[in-house]
Amino acid sequence: MSAHTHNDHGHAHADAGHDHGGGLQMGHHHVSSAAMFFNVLAILLVLTIVTVAVSRFDFGGANMLIAMGIASVKASLVIAIFMHMKWDTAINKIVFLSSFLFLSLLFIFTLADQATRRVDHEMHTTRTPVDKQWVHPSTLEKH
Amino acid sequence: MSHDGHHSIVIPAPGPEFVPHTVAHHFDSPVQEFQSMKLGFWLFLATEILLFGGLFAAYFYFHEAFPETFRVGGAQLDWRLGAVNTTVLLVSSWTMAMGVRCAQTSQKQKTLMFCALTLVGAVAFMVIKFFEYKAKNDHGLVVFSELFSGYNEATGQLAWFKDYDGVMANVPHGHMFFAIYLTMTAIHGLHVVIGAGLIIWIMKGTAKGRFHAGYYLPVDLVGLYWHLVDLIWIFLFPLLYLVP
Repeated sequence: MSAHTHNDHGHAHADAGHDHGGGLQMGHHHVSSAAMFFNVLAILLVLTIVTVAVSRFDFGGANMLIAMGIASVKASLVIAIFMHMKWDTAINKIVFLSSFLFLSLLFIFTLADQATRRVDHEMHTTRTPVDKQWVHPSTLEKH
Repeated sequence: MSHDGHHSIVIPAPGPEFVPHTVAHHFDSPVQEFQSMKLGFWLFLATEILLFGGLFAAYFYFHEAFPETFRVGGAQLDWRLGAVNTTVLLVSSWTMAMGVRCAQTSQKQKTLMFCALTLVGAVAFMVIKFFEYKAKNDHGLVVFSELFSGYNEATGQLAWFKDYDGVMANVPHGHMFFAIYLTMTAIHGLHVVIGAGLIIWIMKGTAKGRFHAGYYLPVDLVGLYWHLVDLIWIFLFPLLYLVP
């Protein structure tokens, strides 16, 4: 890798024990093989077809889980391979992947709220018999 | 052992068609520059995940509250266009990954070619998106000229949601699906446009020979941004076009 030939260009700045010129010039960069990138693209396209195909069947409440499961596999491939996360530093992995951890907290508490409350949504809007349209509550108070 | 600040570190160009990179003076080494920039960018991408995450939370909340509204609303979108756009973004994500790879290996012309192909994908995506939005506008599901007009005083109806064909007449809060559809796809589309601009910037730098095996950081970071745009769409496609 040409980047690793840097230490022979005789830079006066490089001193002992310094990262500079120590073969780590750009950090632990990883050049993925073109074949792997192409294989990942092929898998992503196949999974897109699978996503459309399974949406044609009614699995009840499982449809959402299946769709999100396939999307998560696709997303993982994009993050790990296309975004090189697999070969990235531990701190970068923690920083990025922790966002999904906090996101799951948002989802869990939002959906827990949704699942455990009883809301009469008719309280917020009401269908008027005349035009079969849903109207905003602010207009109802005038009647 | 700290850098004395008087000598700048220069990463040499790997060939005559490239230019050397001078490490910014506030970094001690090229490694520090690379890792700091990369960490900062991953942090930024984490905030992007949280930005879209809030919108996804809204989607899931209202999907649970009004499943029929989302089913009927989703049926108003053309899943074929959504699938084509998904393919366009996945392929462009691949061309971007290849572009970064070519920058890493100092292949200037190939980097330019793959970046150009990614740009074609970005433009194709936005053209398809434009026609989708136009169809929504024509059916009164998202009336763009009334987007910021609030409520119609006389009728109390949302100004931007007219539903000329009455497709949402039998489900509650028909506007809810289209409000979420528009917000999520518009913010995503904004990212596509910004990404396209960044790719043009990268192509300019590549043409000047700034990016090579010794210094490809900006190409790498723009690549990460573009993959994030793809990442978000991977979830938007099934949720909006194939409402589960």
